[in-house]
Amino acid sequence: MPTTIHVEGVWKVYGAGTPREVVAVRDVSLKAGPGRVTALGGPSGSGKTTLLCIMGLLTRPTRGRVFIDGTDLTGVSEVFRTRVRRQKIGFVFQAQYLLPQLTAVENVALPLLCTDISRAEAEELAEERLTELGLGHRLHFRVAELSGGEQQRVSIARSLIRGPEVLIADEPSSSIDARQTADLLAVLRGMVDSRGLAVIVASHDPRVLDWADHVYWLRDGRVVEAGQ
Amino acid sequence: MGIRRHVNLGSYALGNVLKYGPRSAVLVLALMFSTALLCSTEFIHEGVTVDIYASASESPDIVVQRLEAGRQALVPQQWVKNASVVRGVRLVTPRVWGYVDIGGGRLVTVMGVNASVYGLAFGAVGTDVLDGGRFIQPDDRGKIVVGQGIVDLMQNAYSPVTIGVGSSLGIVAYNGTTMEFEVVGVFSSQARVFSNDLIVTDLQSARDLFGLLNASGFTDLAVWTEYHEDINDVAFRLDTRLAGSRVLTRDAIRDLQLKAYGGRAGAVALVWATSLASIVLVAFMASSAASDEARREVGLLKALGYDTVDVIEIRMFEATVISLFGASLGVSAAVFFDFVLGAPGLALFLLGWSIPLLNNGIPLAVSAQTIFTAYVVAITPVIVATVVPAWRNAITEPDTVLRGV
Ligand SMILES: Nc1ncnc2c1ncn2[C@@H]1O[C@H](COP(=O)(O)OP(=O)(O)OP(=O)(O)O)[C@@H](O)[C@H]1O
Ligand SMILES: [Mg+2]
Repeated sequence: MPTTIHVEGVWKVYGAGTPREVVAVRDVSLKAGPGRVTALGGPSGSGKTTLLCIMGLLTRPTRGRVFIDGTDLTGVSEVFRTRVRRQKIGFVFQAQYLLPQLTAVENVALPLLCTDISRAEAEELAEERLTELGLGHRLHFRVAELSGGEQQRVSIARSLIRGPEVLIADEPSSSIDARQTADLLAVLRGMVDSRGLAVIVASHDPRVLDWADHVYWLRDGRVVEAGQ
Repeated sequence: MGIRRHVNLGSYALGNVLKYGPRSAVLVLALMFSTALLCSTEFIHEGVTVDIYASASESPDIVVQRLEAGRQALVPQQWVKNASVVRGVRLVTPRVWGYVDIGGGRLVTVMGVNASVYGLAFGAVGTDVLDGGRFIQPDDRGKIVVGQGIVDLMQNAYSPVTIGVGSSLGIVAYNGTTMEFEVVGVFSSQARVFSNDLIVTDLQSARDLFGLLNASGFTDLAVWTEYHEDINDVAFRLDTRLAGSRVLTRDAIRDLQLKAYGGRAGAVALVWATSLASIVLVAFMASSAASDEARREVGLLKALGYDTVDVIEIRMFEATVISLFGASLGVSAAVFFDFVLGAPGLALFLLGWSIPLLNNGIPLAVSAQTIFTAYVVAITPVIVATVVPAWRNAITEPDTVLRGV
């Protein structure tokens, strides 16, 4: 089922009332729909990652509301938000967050272990995903033994393993070369077109921003420009 | 929920235990050490306790001592008569006790009794004579019955001697001369500490050994009560009747012995080992290196859609595997240390001065309860130290946990 995420007037304030108060996101409203790539651009520190965390239900906004398919998920229980993440959302984190002691396959299979798929099946799917992304020769390497770009592709494979309806990708091309970026974008475009995947991506990379259907430019936590 | 998910989570947890090998190994070793300490202490403590109960069942109902200026003094002949007429008293025998050297500096206890009376006390220590032998008889002089422990002791001596009915045994008397005794019987006893290596003889022979004059009296009186009498009532009457006496019932003696032999030492060591284990473990698991990694992992799992219960299940599984393994190693190590090596060092600490008297090794016992306690004591702190932080991280927003702010 295709999924739409939209936020309405969200704010995120860190350290409110302290000298270190930061308003990371201020009064942002935007919508990311199925079959489309929505991109967030803007300088470092402008609030892209924070906004992705709010949209991906990894953190709650200080003010404003988050809707998935029209349902307000701002105030619902963590149990429910966790279930939505499990069923609908895939993440590529800016900092990867791979488990260094596990192999590439084990890292990619991780999101399936809390479901009712056997471990063997999960690892088979993980191998397919990794091979698709050009890592067929690194399947059983521990992540600590992989290059930065290889790690990034492991992280992308992990985000896609459950066949999510929404992909939230934070700087997914920061460590990979032009060739691999083009391949990645092609793979993602295929999913967007064929099964209505909704992609929300934050990036500095002009190739990624050009490729998106919709770009929101942030500065100091505010949307300053939106374009097709 | 499906069984597959639990299998997945379990195998993931097991993988973690193996992959974080050094961390797991440190935990397993810490647990092994504390469990081994706790168990080897408890085996001795329990062995002593069992022994004391066995010994109580072989001892007289009441023992009467005489105190003079607060110290134990000899009991006069007159007390035997006075005690035997107290209502409820069935049998009274005076006894003469002492430690003797039976060669090579091995100390054993000799007890001299009135054979005609003592032999009537059913189940009294020394009277359970093995086939082929007999108990000492009223006119016997220089005859002894010995505990099975004496036989073993002599058999295992530097130059082994086989002791049995008819053999003679040289005992070093008070003045350094050796007196020859004839073994007329060997008795078996459940109680290892107190009677296994006991030698029983007649009053006169015991007096000769210890250099006591005929008129000087006895070490104590052993009293058996009428079957229908309450032991405490009889003890009270004896106490009233015999001025300057200290009257001890079987239960009181048992309690005194429990206190003297390791009762307190055991309990103290138990508490000590338990808290040491908990402190070490909790400190280790709270140490930043391990907990930082563990926290990040929980944040990631939550972000990926694992429920809080999934995370707790993983951590429970890890903690259980590690602590069961560590505790099992610890129990095995304790069995080896106590039963095979004889608890060097520890036995001395727990039993103190009584060690030289334990010619046949320290008493040891294992009960299901001790083993169960050891496991609980090992598993609980690990589970708490693992699960509580994991649970706290699991209920926090994943973004916060992942960033580590
Ligand atoms: N947990 C936090 N506590 C305090 N301040 C935070 C926290 N997370 C983010 N910030 C602040 O919020 C602002 C926006 O951060 P964010 O990570 O969203 O920026 P970004 O646009 O993703 O930057 P980049 O392009 O460098 O990744 C920054 O100034 C940062 O210092
Ligand atoms: Mg960012």
